[in-house]
Amino acid sequence: MPTLSSLRASFDSALLKLHARTGPMTSELVRHPAAHGLGVPQLPSRLTPTTTTRSVCGFCSTGCSLTVHRDASGQAINLSPDPVYPVNLGMACPKGWEALTPLAASDRLKTPLLRNTATGQLEPVSWDVALAAFVKNFKAIQAAHGPHSLSFLSTGQIVMEEMALLGALAKFGMGMLHIDSNTRQCMATSHVAYKQSFGFDAPPFTYADFEESDALIFIGANPCIAHPIMWQRVMMNKNSPEIIVVDPRRTETAIAGTLHVPLLPKSDLTLLYGLAHLLIERGAVKQEFIDAHTRNFAEFAAFVKKFTPAHVAAATGLPVATLERIVEIIATKQRVSFWWTMGVNQGHESTRTAQAIINLALMTGNIGRPGTGANSITGQCNAMGSRLFGNASSLLGGYDFANAEHRAHVAGVLGINPAVIPSGKSWAYDQIIDGIDTGAIKGLWVIATNTAHSWINQKRFPELRSKLDFLVVQDMYGTTETAQMADLVLPAAGWGEKDGVFINSERRLGVARKVSRAPGLALADFAIFKLVAEAWGCGELFRRWESPEATFRLLRELSRGQPCEFTGIEGYDHIQNECGIQWPYLATGAETPNPKSQTPKSPSTQRRLFADGKFYTADQRAIFLFDEPRPMPELPDAAYPFLLNTGRGSSAQWHTGSRTNKSDVLRKLAPTSLYVEISPADAARLGISANAAVTVSSRRGEAAAFAVITATLQSGQLFMPMHFDAVNRLTFPAFDPHSRQPSYKACAVRIALA
Amino acid sequence: MPAPSDPVRTLIDELIESQRRLDTPVARFAAAHTAADNTATAHGSRAGLGAQLIPLSAPGPGEQYAFQVDLDSCTGCKACVSGCHSLNGLDDEETWRDVGLVYANDSLATLAGIAGLQRDNRASERNAEAQLGSAACAAPFAQTVTTACHHCEDPACLNGCPVVAYEKDPITGIVVHLDDQCIGCSYCVLKCPYDVPKFNERLGIVRKCDMCHGRLAAGEAPACAQACPTEAISIVTVAVTIDQIPKSKAPIPGHKSQSPNPALTALSGTDSAYTRPTTRYVSKKPLPANLVAADSQTLRPQHPHYALVVLLVLTQLGLGLLVSTQLSAPNSQLLAPSSQLLSLFGLGLYGTGLLASIAHLGQPLRAWRIFLGLRTSWLSREAVLLGAAFPLLSAILLRSDLAQSLLAKFAPPLPSSLQQALHLAPVGGILLAGLGVFCSAMIYTDTRRQFWRLSQTLGRMGGTVAIAALIPISAPLAAVTLVAKLALELNTLRGDSPSARLQRSLLSPLVAARLIIASLLLPTLFVAPAGVTVVLFGIGELLERTLFFRAVDSPKMPGVPAS
Repeated sequence: MPTLSSLRASFDSALLKLHARTGPMTSELVRHPAAHGLGVPQLPSRLTPTTTTRSVCGFCSTGCSLTVHRDASGQAINLSPDPVYPVNLGMACPKGWEALTPLAASDRLKTPLLRNTATGQLEPVSWDVALAAFVKNFKAIQAAHGPHSLSFLSTGQIVMEEMALLGALAKFGMGMLHIDSNTRQCMATSHVAYKQSFGFDAPPFTYADFEESDALIFIGANPCIAHPIMWQRVMMNKNSPEIIVVDPRRTETAIAGTLHVPLLPKSDLTLLYGLAHLLIERGAVKQEFIDAHTRNFAEFAAFVKKFTPAHVAAATGLPVATLERIVEIIATKQRVSFWWTMGVNQGHESTRTAQAIINLALMTGNIGRPGTGANSITGQCNAMGSRLFGNASSLLGGYDFANAEHRAHVAGVLGINPAVIPSGKSWAYDQIIDGIDTGAIKGLWVIATNTAHSWINQKRFPELRSKLDFLVVQDMYGTTETAQMADLVLPAAGWGEKDGVFINSERRLGVARKVSRAPGLALADFAIFKLVAEAWGCGELFRRWESPEATFRLLRELSRGQPCEFTGIEGYDHIQNECGIQWPYLATGAETPNPKSQTPKSPSTQRRLFADGKFYTADQRAIFLFDEPRPMPELPDAAYPFLLNTGRGSSAQWHTGSRTNKSDVLRKLAPTSLYVEISPADAARLGISANAAVTVSSRRGEAAAFAVITATLQSGQLFMPMHFDAVNRLTFPAFDPHSRQPSYKACAVRIALA
Repeated sequence: MPAPSDPVRTLIDELIESQRRLDTPVARFAAAHTAADNTATAHGSRAGLGAQLIPLSAPGPGEQYAFQVDLDSCTGCKACVSGCHSLNGLDDEETWRDVGLVYANDSLATLAGIAGLQRDNRASERNAEAQLGSAACAAPFAQTVTTACHHCEDPACLNGCPVVAYEKDPITGIVVHLDDQCIGCSYCVLKCPYDVPKFNERLGIVRKCDMCHGRLAAGEAPACAQACPTEAISIVTVAVTIDQIPKSKAPIPGHKSQSPNPALTALSGTDSAYTRPTTRYVSKKPLPANLVAADSQTLRPQHPHYALVVLLVLTQLGLGLLVSTQLSAPNSQLLAPSSQLLSLFGLGLYGTGLLASIAHLGQPLRAWRIFLGLRTSWLSREAVLLGAAFPLLSAILLRSDLAQSLLAKFAPPLPSSLQQALHLAPVGGILLAGLGVFCSAMIYTDTRRQFWRLSQTLGRMGGTVAIAALIPISAPLAAVTLVAKLALELNTLRGDSPSARLQRSLLSPLVAARLIIASLLLPTLFVAPAGVTVVLFGIGELLERTLFFRAVDSPKMPGVPAS
């Protein structure tokens, strides 16, 4: 007989079941505070970390630090933005939040793949077979066509130690001369512009400058979605700054700013010269600074005289009042900072455009002080590392291949014979591509980039593929457009599966850590390069490069005496404990070895360059550089009446999408098929309604897209996001003569209903 | 060419081995964190997990918590979505926050317009600044909109839930979903005009934003708020308006004069008087009129809900056949042999429909709770009525030869009152099931979707019952009713509504199939036996009901452009 109390108990439990406020599904999401001191928010219990590790993000150049949450086995299970890192202050963009997701993608490469010549299929092979094929085919090519017939295209996405090892292996061990990386597509212009103007590739700013300015001028930059964590700093500016946004499109940043300057595409050089002219006329130049610290100003002043307001207004499509307004702001504000990125860098006269920005900063004395500067916002997470240690256009550590003393010095530090260091100049990306066409390059090694998607006028690449005797692709995924064309695919570990240093936009070295196991036989790029060195027979050259951190110490030594010197850094832990360290950074108490260096002797979290007005040129003066503006190479005409602009589509997408497309969350945050933005007036004229299927075509190819009608675009212009491979079938291959960076943002197209 | 030597092979093994090794650097990084924490203040960090973004005290009487979004600060980085996803441990494809874009394209403002305005003012330099300012205000407008649950004052999800799996916290006003209570019927997904509750296939239940109430209780900001680099999302205390404004009884689509949340009405296109969403979208600049969501022209065929298609069509078809048999012999003790077969068929269809409804649920074992929502949920009412009707309807079988002979053989003679009751039972069943069909119609009408307005839901569902009832009785009447029902259906193809455009484009094959079946059915009505006609009719109704689900308009907050 059930007792009364047991009856009541079962009645109570029935009532509970009637309204189940708890249970397994509820507890799955109940959040608990993490262990004290981990500094992470409340998390569901299955995601509660045992420990956390600070690691710098591997997408863009902002260089945010992520607190990676790890389980007891050390495996990363989640992450949150690092709350104390001075770059991101506890914030991350969606890509950062999702940084671990692409590691678990189902199409990760788990073994090397070799194309079976009989079946034409890529088939899994062991590492020794893969290495044997690599060495056999590449050596055969060199034997038949000379050592320079081999080339590589790499990336700004791998750590500095790997870039340096790759560059050294290729040039000192394998006899290559022509090597380049995808940083050519994003930062080459800034590199060359700084190098020519300042004597060294030295972005002068620190992120605190976003907060210190009373006027910020963004030129060809859309940080709201391209660098949202930098925009965070702009929003933290307490000075109610003027925010001028120079952009043909009314971008998110243009809307958020205080003055949008919707100039005609690629008229920025004329605009900048016109501003310089008006500033000089107004007497708003800092003559004292110019006299003490620069060269060539008089010639520049004479040159810009012809850029009268009327001329500039006609060329840029802007009213004179707008020019005057910008000049008024620059002339009256105390701390003016200039910021540029791809809108400037990707142009047919981009180096001079960047230098026109530098000239404005120099002539108005807006450099070396808080909240000022001519500041290039970098693209990839390690573009800055690649600029110093890629070993492509300059010798490791910012040295000159052509200089025998430099070669001897570098050889001495590395303990190698100076004779293995070539003195010749490397071809740039486009010249390597041309070299394939002419038959000069017969073997190509592509590392962590997706040329078949991203290269300008990309339709040409598959045609060129057939001219290559052997194509090796080294990537996390075998599914990229380029990997699909390869003869040999090498499986690489990704960000989070290896250690090393990235350098961010503000010259801050940060450490990325190994917190996740790579799948199958995938290996860190560093390990792959070591294997190639051994298999090639030049392993002896790299005995000192025994680990990423040992390599870091070599690079640290190479930096000694250079403007980028960081000999004060003890090692990875030191960088992490200091929340990243900006170069230059010398040991406390060390003698400053280079009179040109303004290295502070104690660490500080925000440091900028040129406070003393001394630049890195021989005479310590910055140089005013300028050239006559030229029309863009392919202007819209009757047959192709629209100008096509391309660029980042959203904060959730990274370049060719090989990683960001692997995240369900990121895919939700942006259109999943190719679209083209068109102004309401043009759409109405052509009978194109929202979402209509259209075809955009240029003289080189065509792309199917759906129409997005938005008044944020000027009439006569179209915009397409670069994340879809069809876009670069349309682009016109024009290059800046100094930086050889492609001009992705201007080609003539037509649009019609599909 | 040297073959790979043994040292290389050894190195391969070493490197693979080392690649697999993860250090567990507890000591080292714990130390690092202490150092970092100590320097936090020096760096001006925003640590503290966003505590400044939430109210200091709990809401008082007549107040509740609400999300506030500063549109001027939100510049489209979308970190809120992934922050919520990661910190709340959601499934890979699951997001509780969404972002979209609105444009104001039909305004006269264009970029050329800005330039023109500026040009006009060239002469008058003094005015330039003011004019530039005003030009900027009138400039082309695009705005990112971030949305999570609006924690409505009068939540449609809560009101529609048949098992009371939603609760509105009496103090904070947070609308919480009880995951272990949910039966996975997805009705809340249809009820919410903002597309907030999301069905989770793995669990077979719905989940949604709970404003991170546990974090709030501990003084930590919700995940989205702490993830926002520009502090655009915060939690505020708002006055509850529901007691002051009389709740409108009937939906007034497009009527916004009484809108308790005009910004949200403008951004979503749904009159906020319906559920009284609490999210505050604030901006220093007035929102332009005629906002258009970037995905407003995107055609999104909706989930077909096949189990519901079967439930609705079969219960209505079955009921119609039972009505027909009842009508054909209201008083006789014994049905005609053809009627006996038809009623068995009808009852079978009806029962199969009921069973199909179980297949629709993500958590069928919890379905027994379905009666809990009777007070507010049409779904509860439908389930209870259709279920209760079944045994009563079954009594019609007593009027078959088989039942009569079995009764005569084995059962003691029944008292006449009981006999009479059994005789009347099917009538009661028909009445209950009829009410159930009305509830079926109301389930969809209560979602306030244009395509599911009462004339459509009741017309279609009542039409199914009526035509099924008429087929065995009168072919001409059945034909006339069928034509009327087709006219009602085809009426929804006209115009520019999402449902009309869907049916004319992506769903046109389904429309065509439905029409082909109907045109076959019309002559069949007059020549073929009732059984054949009923089957053909049923197929046509299944197609019609699939369209009913697939072509429905699906209100939501603005999304990103989609083809």
